[in-house]
Amino acid sequence: MKKIFIFLLLISQAVMAQRPTPATTNKQRILLLGATAHIGNGQMIPMSAIGITGGKLSFVMDAKGYKPDPKAFDTIIYVNDKHAYPGFIALNSILGLSDLEAVRATNDYRESGSINPSARTLIAYNPDSRVIPTVRDNGVLMAQVAPQGGLLSGSSSVVQLDAWNWEDATVKADDGIWVNWPSMRQQRMATPDAEAEQKAKNEKAMQSLYKQFDDAAGYAKSNPSVKNRHLEAMKGLFDGSMNLYVRCEFAREIIEAINFGDKYKLKVVIVGGNDSWRVVDLLKEKNVPVIITRTHALPYREDDDIDMSYKLPAILFKAGIRVSITDEGFWQQRNLGFQAGTVAGYGLTKEEALQCITLSSALILGIDKTCGSLEDEKDATLFISSGDALDMTGNKVEMAFVQGRMIDLDNYQKELYLRYKEKYSVK
Amino acid sequence: MSLQKDGIARGTGAVVLMGDGDIHKLILKDKAVNALSFNKGTSTQDYPSSLMGSIALIRQTYLDAQWYNYAKEKDFDISLAAWNANQNLLQLFEVNDYRSALRANLIGKEFGQNYCIRGGGDEYKRVDEIAKSKSTFIVTLNFPKAYDVSNPFDALNINLDDLRHWEMAPANASVLEKAGVNFVLTTDGLKEKKEFPSALQKALKCGLSKDQALKALTTLPAKLLGIENQVGSLKSGMLANFFICTKDYFEKENVIVEHWISGERYIIKNPDSIEIRNKYKLTLDTLQGWNLSASGDQFAPEWTLVRDTIKVKVEATSFNSQWTFRFEPKKGKGAYRLNGSFNLNGSRISGQAQNPDGKWMTWSAEKMGPSEAKKDTTKKDSAFVMPQTWLPNMAYGWKSKADIPSAGSVWIKNVTVWTCEEQGILQNADVIMKDGKIVAVGKFSDTDKVKYDGMEMIDGTGMHLTPGIIDEHSHIAINEGVNEGTQSVTSEVRIGDVINPDDINIYRQLAGGVTTSHLLHGSANAIGGQTILIKLRWGQTAEEMKFKGADGFIKFALGENVKQSNWGDNNVTRYPQTRMGVEQIYMDAFTRAKEYDATWKKFNASKSKGIAPRRDLELDALAEILNKKRFITCHSYQQGEINMLMHVADSFQFRVNTFTHILEGYKVADKMKAHGVGASTFSDWWAYKYEVIDAIPYNGAIMHNIGIVTGFNSDDAEMARRLNQEAAKACKYGNVSEEEALKFVTLNPAKLLHISDQVGSIKIGKDADIVLWNGPPLSVYSKPVKTFVDGICYYDLKRDEQLRNDIQSERQRIIKKMQDDKAAGGPIQKGGSAPHEEYHCNDMENAPH
Repeated sequence: MKKIFIFLLLISQAVMAQRPTPATTNKQRILLLGATAHIGNGQMIPMSAIGITGGKLSFVMDAKGYKPDPKAFDTIIYVNDKHAYPGFIALNSILGLSDLEAVRATNDYRESGSINPSARTLIAYNPDSRVIPTVRDNGVLMAQVAPQGGLLSGSSSVVQLDAWNWEDATVKADDGIWVNWPSMRQQRMATPDAEAEQKAKNEKAMQSLYKQFDDAAGYAKSNPSVKNRHLEAMKGLFDGSMNLYVRCEFAREIIEAINFGDKYKLKVVIVGGNDSWRVVDLLKEKNVPVIITRTHALPYREDDDIDMSYKLPAILFKAGIRVSITDEGFWQQRNLGFQAGTVAGYGLTKEEALQCITLSSALILGIDKTCGSLEDEKDATLFISSGDALDMTGNKVEMAFVQGRMIDLDNYQKELYLRYKEKYSVK
Repeated sequence: MSLQKDGIARGTGAVVLMGDGDIHKLILKDKAVNALSFNKGTSTQDYPSSLMGSIALIRQTYLDAQWYNYAKEKDFDISLAAWNANQNLLQLFEVNDYRSALRANLIGKEFGQNYCIRGGGDEYKRVDEIAKSKSTFIVTLNFPKAYDVSNPFDALNINLDDLRHWEMAPANASVLEKAGVNFVLTTDGLKEKKEFPSALQKALKCGLSKDQALKALTTLPAKLLGIENQVGSLKSGMLANFFICTKDYFEKENVIVEHWISGERYIIKNPDSIEIRNKYKLTLDTLQGWNLSASGDQFAPEWTLVRDTIKVKVEATSFNSQWTFRFEPKKGKGAYRLNGSFNLNGSRISGQAQNPDGKWMTWSAEKMGPSEAKKDTTKKDSAFVMPQTWLPNMAYGWKSKADIPSAGSVWIKNVTVWTCEEQGILQNADVIMKDGKIVAVGKFSDTDKVKYDGMEMIDGTGMHLTPGIIDEHSHIAINEGVNEGTQSVTSEVRIGDVINPDDINIYRQLAGGVTTSHLLHGSANAIGGQTILIKLRWGQTAEEMKFKGADGFIKFALGENVKQSNWGDNNVTRYPQTRMGVEQIYMDAFTRAKEYDATWKKFNASKSKGIAPRRDLELDALAEILNKKRFITCHSYQQGEINMLMHVADSFQFRVNTFTHILEGYKVADKMKAHGVGASTFSDWWAYKYEVIDAIPYNGAIMHNIGIVTGFNSDDAEMARRLNQEAAKACKYGNVSEEEALKFVTLNPAKLLHISDQVGSIKIGKDADIVLWNGPPLSVYSKPVKTFVDGICYYDLKRDEQLRNDIQSERQRIIKKMQDDKAAGGPIQKGGSAPHEEYHCNDMENAPH
């Protein structure tokens, strides 16, 4: 058994490489002792003992009066005064699908055409993206990689962020199909013709959605011998194994999406949902979760409450709706914890805010049996931060595990930092 | 008065008579006005693409024309010659809204013109400033239609400013009249001219006096156009230009029957028509007991056939003096068809007819008395109650000027004070402000002589007090274009010309603790426009928001935006396309500026003076840089270009003041330190384009630790609301202390902007721009409770709650009114408000997106 104090770990990290090597499978029994454990389900244990065996959490418990049996562990890590969190889950991200927004060659999140249900983000996911280590360094250890654009964008998948290839990375393949809901928000137009055009555009898009889903529903039921790859890709929507993620903001669009889900008996998840607080009763009645794509956002309308984006998750959460928070894009996801932290200033407790980026997300993705919280028998995907990980001044990730493997927290940006600190000999 | 409504300098307009005949004889005055606007219209030239570009172009044209007047050696310029020739005419300026009216007025003042302004119809929004402008206004009666509010969700998409404008636009003329603004009315702006009488009725109902309305349609425009000796009043010697109507022109049912134009008579309704709205006893065939009755419009009455309580519809038309009637006394039994004429006094109508069998016969009808007037079933509209104009007239606006508090004296007690000075962080301290300044910082008791009459006491227990946040790089509150990106050097344009004081983001950012914003030109070109520094004095005018006495700055830009790297494959020819070219742009520009400056210096030093050189606004601004009177903030990413610009500056003996963005600043921090340039960077942005591939969040910390004045900026209306959180990232990335990190968004940007003697820290004598937070200012969980600018509390968390309620009740009030208007048959429009005007560095469109 070895005892490790956290400062030793930091020194070991001083040998830096630009691209961290994925950690090898954990064969040890590890005890993390003394951290404040933020469970992810709204609970918190001020002084905890967290056991990791292989890839799983063997136990998470109150360490008060607990005297660990040294023989029961290969390694005991003392993390007093530090904080343990389940790995944050970045929903609706394009992590691994883009490395530099403005450089077309690095972008793999939007296929051409409007109906692309069979397009899969999973195979485009690049686990070697230089962005990924910078995101992990702030506590994001899992991501949903989602397609963008068109009407039916394709299917998303869930990955863990320490992998050699996309197969290794896969946590859940093809968890859902993505729709960009046709806009129902009428803008002021110069002429009545332009207004009619707006409406016609919506109707045309709706017709193609109905056609696609009529076909897919019939296909799923009859399972014909002649295969149609578009319809095949949508089968999971009709047996409840896949979500239908609907990107929309305006109240009428949300209602329309829910009605649509009703018609085809789909598991609809609203993504964006600026106006979702106006239809909480419907969301509650139909048990529809909401993924809020940014809390660091301006209000949707000039007249809205100026803190609408900050307090929206709390309104939904208090109304009993499953709500999850994400940032947008890829590099931006490193601020996921702070997106949640801001919400804690506007009506949620810190633990509830954390829940919105961990367990609630896992529940929406249907991976809550293994992920999303620090609970017995779940994957040991967690990190230790020296301070409050939802706050910029506290978030310092000192150690992180993905499925029990202690990962290398080095990244390209840290390497440049060290290089220039040294050049100038500054602290 | 007729003119070409297209382009910026539109040429002259003529006064014409509206009669028929030889058009040459109808011209009353061939050159009556010289017309201008900010809108380039159908011009196919690139420049200008923004409102500030239009303003710069107009100012430069005035200067060029002046120079053209006195310059000796010059080529003939037909445009400048005409421009000069037209300066003595009435100068008519067409604008879109009150803000541009005030902008035009400022240009006029600079060049000795007081424009007559064709306004956008919203002058009521700032009527005091409009009155102060002393301009004459041409007021349109084009009022917005009510919105379709039947669906409650759709109605959410109409902002309160649009709702209020719908209600108040018809009252615009009335508000102007009460404020003593000199104005005339126009049909311009109406879709159809025939809407004018009903629009005028609306304006009258909203309080415009008939007297003023008449003047604004006759004597005043005549005087304005210098034709008051010919038209505009009824007196001998004037042109016989008048019209005749059936009633007082300003009464609703009035009908115009004749026009007289220059003595020519134009009959509109038969002027000799006699009153025929009577009941007539019909004698026809074997019909018994039937009367014909005419009622309604005098010139097109409705006819009915009446017996006792039976009413039969009569098809009636007239042609010259003869009437045609067709009716069926008994349905299905065939129709009588009549032709007939009235006698001279209208007491009898008679003629010939065919009965249903085709038999010819004579008929007549004798007057029995006037017909019963039709009952007015239209709903009486309630009297118009003038709403109070809010400042600005939108959500979160102040209810009136008096509603904006003045800077009294305030004592904030027992608070944690982040001074951003040597004193550091003071626990349980007091800060006192008076008349807009900080007058005491420390610990005081009631016996200390720091208490003033009427002093407001604020208990700061558990709270934190910081200096107001200063955003070095912002694009909020800008109208109609942030980039004049049509040329590589546009130092002549000024963001200060296009401040939008009605941007909701001003209020939202106050709620995030921002008190001062540096509004920058975009980064589309190497030398962009002059910047403006504003304080977020929400509710005040554009001019009032300007930071008084601040040094002038100018935006430069390097890298991918300037060389159009990400503009698509169609933008590969504008110079520069590489960083090599960018350097050449600077060297050329400053070489020209140096020569220009030398020419002027020589001229100013010479005793004999002689002829002044031509003034060039573009080179003026560059010469100011050379003379250290204007300072550069330069959008920059990669180390090479940063290094290059410092070399350019060195070679012309000036200093680059600030590198903004400066994401690779950490790579050349030593060189920057040696040059003496400051840094205003993002906390953690990267990966959005190739030139930020090496951007690191530790950049701020490295530059700070090396001794460069370092700040964090937003370049984003949302992030600006959380600059305290961005500052906190300097603690996370690079271990900057919290105390120093806060300076990244307060004292350090103040230093970069040369205003640190006025703002940026809590120090006696500085402006009372301070923020009271409900927790530690760098914590993600904290938010401002109060934000003071010049000692005035422009944002208050509690008051904000009240404003939200006010917005809801005000919306409801107007939405109800709109429904009433619709029920009364008023026109409606679909759709919601236009998208918000919001910019980032590289936004090229000047329309909102």
